[in-house]
Amino acid sequence: MSAHASDAYLDTRVSLMISRLLDADAIARLAQLDLPVLAQRLGLEALLDEQPSVRARSRAIEQSLIQLLLSELQVLIRPMRGAEHELLLAWGRKFALYNLKTLLRGKLHALDPQHIREQLFDLPELIRLPHQRLFGAENVEELLRLLEAGPYRQIARQAREVYAQRREPFALEAAIDQHYHISIAREAAACEGHHAAPLRTLIGILFDRIDLLWLLRFRFCYKLPPSETFYHLLPSPGLLHRKRLLQLAELGSLEQVLAALPGALQEPLADCTNLAEVQRSLDRLSARAIEQVLHRSPSAMARALAYLIRREQDLGALFALLQGRLLGLSQSVIESALDLAPPDCRWPRAA
Amino acid sequence: MLRPTPMKHVRLLILNEDLAEASLALARTQCFHPDPRPPAESRLGERADHAYRDTFLQARGRFDKLARLILAEDESAPPALQPRVVEFAELEALNTWLGELWTKASSHEEELHRLDDEDRLAREQLAALANFSDLAIDLSILRRKTRFLDFHVGLVPRENLRQLQDALGLAGYLLHPYMNRDEQTHVVIVGPAEEREGSLQAVLNAAGFQSLPIPRDLDREPAERRRDLEAQRARIAEERAAAKQTLERWGSGFRERLRAARETLWLAEPLVTLDPVLRGSGPLIYLAGWVPARALRGLEQTLRATLSHPFDLGSRDPLPEERRLVPTVPNRSRLLAPFSLLVRQYGIPEYGEVDPTPLFAITFLLMFGSMFGDLGQGAVIALAALLFRPRLGRFWLFGVLAGCSSMGFGLMFGSVFGSEQLLPALWMSPLHDPLHLLSLALGWGVIFITLASILAIYNRLALGQWSEALFGHHGVFNLTFYLALIALALGVSRGDGIATLPLLLSTGSLLALAWHCWGHQHEPPVERLLVVTIDTLETILSYVSNTLSFLRVAAFSLNHVALSIAIFTLADMLHGVGQAAMIVAGNLFVIVLEGGIVAIQVMRLHYYEGFSRYFTGDGQEFMPLRLAAPEPRGAKAPHHL
Repeated sequence: MSAHASDAYLDTRVSLMISRLLDADAIARLAQLDLPVLAQRLGLEALLDEQPSVRARSRAIEQSLIQLLLSELQVLIRPMRGAEHELLLAWGRKFALYNLKTLLRGKLHALDPQHIREQLFDLPELIRLPHQRLFGAENVEELLRLLEAGPYRQIARQAREVYAQRREPFALEAAIDQHYHISIAREAAACEGHHAAPLRTLIGILFDRIDLLWLLRFRFCYKLPPSETFYHLLPSPGLLHRKRLLQLAELGSLEQVLAALPGALQEPLADCTNLAEVQRSLDRLSARAIEQVLHRSPSAMARALAYLIRREQDLGALFALLQGRLLGLSQSVIESALDLAPPDCRWPRAA
Repeated sequence: MLRPTPMKHVRLLILNEDLAEASLALARTQCFHPDPRPPAESRLGERADHAYRDTFLQARGRFDKLARLILAEDESAPPALQPRVVEFAELEALNTWLGELWTKASSHEEELHRLDDEDRLAREQLAALANFSDLAIDLSILRRKTRFLDFHVGLVPRENLRQLQDALGLAGYLLHPYMNRDEQTHVVIVGPAEEREGSLQAVLNAAGFQSLPIPRDLDREPAERRRDLEAQRARIAEERAAAKQTLERWGSGFRERLRAARETLWLAEPLVTLDPVLRGSGPLIYLAGWVPARALRGLEQTLRATLSHPFDLGSRDPLPEERRLVPTVPNRSRLLAPFSLLVRQYGIPEYGEVDPTPLFAITFLLMFGSMFGDLGQGAVIALAALLFRPRLGRFWLFGVLAGCSSMGFGLMFGSVFGSEQLLPALWMSPLHDPLHLLSLALGWGVIFITLASILAIYNRLALGQWSEALFGHHGVFNLTFYLALIALALGVSRGDGIATLPLLLSTGSLLALAWHCWGHQHEPPVERLLVVTIDTLETILSYVSNTLSFLRVAAFSLNHVALSIAIFTLADMLHGVGQAAMIVAGNLFVIVLEGGIVAIQVMRLHYYEGFSRYFTGDGQEFMPLRLAAPEPRGAKAPHHL
């Protein structure tokens, strides 16, 4: 397929798929339904009937939603070649990294293999990890060494080196997360032509959100020093670029950081007093920005990635709703999780 | 030979105590294909205890890793396996021992990794030496902390460099990269002697920084220092060889026990394979599967002779709705094995369908031979297949048979290495009467398509699809139309005009097909009419084009002769060695290129004009439970073979 034909195909595909996305009203309507009706509406009745326990049902739902998302990724990736193909694949690898973290936690805490197996997502061949071989590893280093021959080489090598020096789970998972995002930035930077600028915008939106949350968490919850905090952040092609991150990392309180943000971020976050509020506001902000890319971007590639990110948010909301119903949580808690109502519990003020 | 092996669905109820024994017995008979579906009885639930499976998987993982290190060059043939039950306690003990052994083995491996890292650092130091030697400063100060400044020299992954540089800037440190090698960058970090925030090490660790020790005697002659580093590398290489020898010596003491461990794992495997299909209630275990009907009695006898407690073995014929789940026993003939592999590329015959392998073997050889008929070139193909037998695996026989077929047709065409002067044709040279050859190819096409359609009808009748057998693609009405159309065409070509009976039959069957198509449409009448018209036209066109497709059989036969003529014409322009070289090279060209193209074309004709008509390929392959190890000498062949 030529580049123009594949762009046209991708554009049409994304335009058709957009109709599957849920707006706030649709989520609000779904939030009013009880579990049987919700399951029927989403075609999950058989899945719920087959599972014996709440935990197993919840797991089956999550698995099914991830499979749905990844099946759409496979459809979108089909006409792509080269850097574009690699970018979507790099994005999809986050689910394999969830599995990797599960396996690593299993090794770190010597968990029951059956328990670990139940926690693993069944993923398509395209991004699947060699679970059986990884299960056979006796420790974290051996497990990561096994991954060093394949597409996860960079992530696994860096994670192993970090773990060898620091021997702590936080450093290990932080290294995995950081290098996952670096791999996305690297693949996006390799996309050329008319895709380059729109993709930079989209990656900027993603990284701005992650950076601000990580910055606040590492500095003020984990009390890491500025230099270490900065090292874990991702220079964004958006608002929180390298220089700005350097300035922000040196500030001493949440209020100072929020006050020093650039205008487009400062205004919506001005009233936030804690990390949870910042996260909610940032989620709304980035969702709006992603919508803009989805509907107005001239790049089919950027639209495809924006669609996947939005779809993941939707499926996350559906999972939260179903999970809430399965656990019998109150309507107010569920609505607050779906950002349909303000939370009814107070958060401690950040230092 | 074309019919599938009749199968029975069996349900086995045993006591838990007999489970391991039963799994071994089932594996030894090699006739039990597990059925993972849960039973109708809801009380027979999934078993919660998977300890045996988990222990086995861990033990096998450990064994595989150890085998790579210790049994990698062990080429001794494994002894015949004496079946015995592997109890959980034995498996657990084996797993523990393998775990301990792996801990020791991995320490040897770690030593090798350590030496590799040391060697890498020495290489980096050698590379750095050239850079250091150009600097006009006293480098020995880099080795020590001064009163005010602290120095770090080392490597950092290039990907992390920029981020580390900025992060260190926040801590008041300067990072200076001075050399890039592969994915690493050599850097010097300079900062205040007292860390501003005490976090330098944390950042360096997070960035994967590796310190490069600054040699004490850096102010010596670079050449001298280089010699030292090279000596260090030689020492590391020696140590590495010694470590490998130590590992080898250490491992040789465990070889025998590891071979025994492999046998234990082979014996434990059948029970683990059965784990996903086992259901149970209290001491009762349920398992189900598919067994070739003629192996059923033998299976029962084996179970009776093996199990120490009562058991219940029930069997029944497959239900019509289970047909897709019933496995198909593959054709075991050694002669047909390569053809069976090619059929499997298309799919596995559904249970009840005709296995096309024998028919495919005959038609493939006939078509290949007729399209590539040459005594000499056929002999080369057959000999090459014999010569490369070890490399070709089961395909060597395919090459030999294809070569023989080519030789047979070569005799009939009188062609030896493209020359038609050396041997009289037993039949005729293709180029002497091309039109006759083309007519024969068309005739062969008609026979092939008719045969494929008959098989399609048979398969549908066997699967109980009556309507499909009558009205479906390549069903009775399609075949009637096709044969009547051929009769009409023959009449016209002979000058007999349009015969009444074929005309009536072709029109009638076409109308019947159109009526059937009309009945299955739910669109508005105009759209329906359009669909029916296009469908009917498609039926006519597809049969005509499919038959014409077989002209390529004759075309390639003619092409073969034409290519040979071209080669000899070119050879005639040369003399002596040049002439001989042209004939040899030309023949090689024909064998490799034309031979390959002909093989692909024959496959294409079979896949598209044959298999697509009568073969769904949606079946399940019969994969019985079996022991991974060799059977004891003199053991009986499985009952169903």
